[in-house]
Amino acid sequence: MKNLLTFKNVNYFYQTKNDEIFALNNVNFDVEENSFVSLVGPSGYGKTTILSLTAGLLTPSSGKITLDGEDKIDIKKIGYMFQKDFLFEWRTVWKNITLGLEIQKPKDKEEKLAMAEELLKKYDLYGFKDQKPRSLSGGMRQRVALIRTLTMEPKLLLLDEPFSALDYQTRLSVCDDVYEIIKSEQKTAILVTHDISEAISMSDKIIILTSRPATVRETLSLNLEGTSPLKKRETPTFASLFDHIWRQLSNEETAKNKT
Amino acid sequence: MKKQQKTKPNFSKSHQLYVKRLKKDKFVINFFRVFVLVAFLGIWELLTYYKVLDPFFVSSPSRIFAQIGTMAQNGTLLTHSWVTLYETLIGFGIATAVGYVIAVLLWWNEKVRKVFEPYIVVLNSLPKIALGPVIILWVGAGTSAIVLMCVLICIVITIMSMLSAFLAVEEGKILLMKSMHASKLQILFKLVLPSSMPEFVSVLKINVGMSWVGSIMGEYLTSKAGRGYLIVYGGQIFKIDLVMASTMILCILAFGMYYFVSLLEKKYNPGAKS
Repeated sequence: MKNLLTFKNVNYFYQTKNDEIFALNNVNFDVEENSFVSLVGPSGYGKTTILSLTAGLLTPSSGKITLDGEDKIDIKKIGYMFQKDFLFEWRTVWKNITLGLEIQKPKDKEEKLAMAEELLKKYDLYGFKDQKPRSLSGGMRQRVALIRTLTMEPKLLLLDEPFSALDYQTRLSVCDDVYEIIKSEQKTAILVTHDISEAISMSDKIIILTSRPATVRETLSLNLEGTSPLKKRETPTFASLFDHIWRQLSNEETAKNKT
Repeated sequence: MKKQQKTKPNFSKSHQLYVKRLKKDKFVINFFRVFVLVAFLGIWELLTYYKVLDPFFVSSPSRIFAQIGTMAQNGTLLTHSWVTLYETLIGFGIATAVGYVIAVLLWWNEKVRKVFEPYIVVLNSLPKIALGPVIILWVGAGTSAIVLMCVLICIVITIMSMLSAFLAVEEGKILLMKSMHASKLQILFKLVLPSSMPEFVSVLKINVGMSWVGSIMGEYLTSKAGRGYLIVYGGQIFKIDLVMASTMILCILAFGMYYFVSLLEKKYNPGAKS
């Protein structure tokens, strides 16, 4: 399958007044089209830096990032979903969803509006179209945020711990919803998460990062049976995978504490 | 029939009691609000009637109402009130609009903001009344001096409050806008300005009070008409009834203006209790 995103020998330094933080060290990986890739690793700058670089919000200090065959990142090909839903309280659900279209004014706006309406209907939010976000539950708000991102028809979705602000029950069901939406809309996605089981249950590939300066420690290709993240959690290999990643990460934490 | 459905859904007895108690509490609060005013005026009247207090120095409600009646008859009630209201509204409008625009410009350019920050802080702590003589020299005695005083008193706080509201917009929301490829102008109009509406309404509320301070200060400095003028004039000729009547009218006017602003608050900041 074709690679949608490639990181080749990417280095990144954060510059502050008194310091220069070496965040990424020679990072190499690629993301195939229509795949779901997770980035896991110790807390630090690494994971979110990778997302910001992918979105073109940061430029690598050295190395090359290729998105959809081009060296220059076209932000219109990217959809970004954040830890918080960042819905604008003064806009209705519909106005929130169409915010991106309002900003970019694409030529096929009408088609995209029709698609947004379809998505709302499909994911049981159409009834809330004209309501303000404060009347929605946490899970619904994240679904609205996802539809807002999908309406722009991005080629690549960047998910920056989008479930971490939800309670556990909601988290599991929203995870299922988001996974289903992404798969049925045939999108490519990169998920950053602290939650190992979330990564295993959603991904086709997991990239384990080391502590700062982050580099790729291991890349795991998964092929779990099951149609949804919840079902995948029940597969026999789930526990061993969890154990493996857990060990890798604890080694990292020990190494980090030693330095 | 329709009304009945609305007010009497099938709630439990305890809920009905709860609603009843809420209504009763509200009534008690409103009753005592009026009571405090009536009692205050009543005691004041009695104390001056029985000469415990000298009405020459403290006036009395009956004298104040008589004074207001006289002013209504000879037409000065409306003319003088209008002069002050006019100055206040113009000063309030200019200060709020110009202050808002300056805050937007400072938000737009970080370097300009950093250059002007210390000046704004100094201007904020300066007692604006100190500029009185200079203002009269610059724009001449009269309405423009009063309006300028009003503007100076309101504008700095408008700039400071709005700027901090603009800067308090969540970084993540700005990042979201950037990830949608929004221009800075779009970030301003679609995110920063609408999300700072609640703060804007509270700036309006602050400015209602401040602009009255400004116009009365201005009238103390230089004026030929207006409520502030009458207060100074009444004080000079020892006509406390006039001073008190003008003060009372000011209270009513200021409250009216505050009320209009709090209607806006209900629209833009429904969560806030006014």
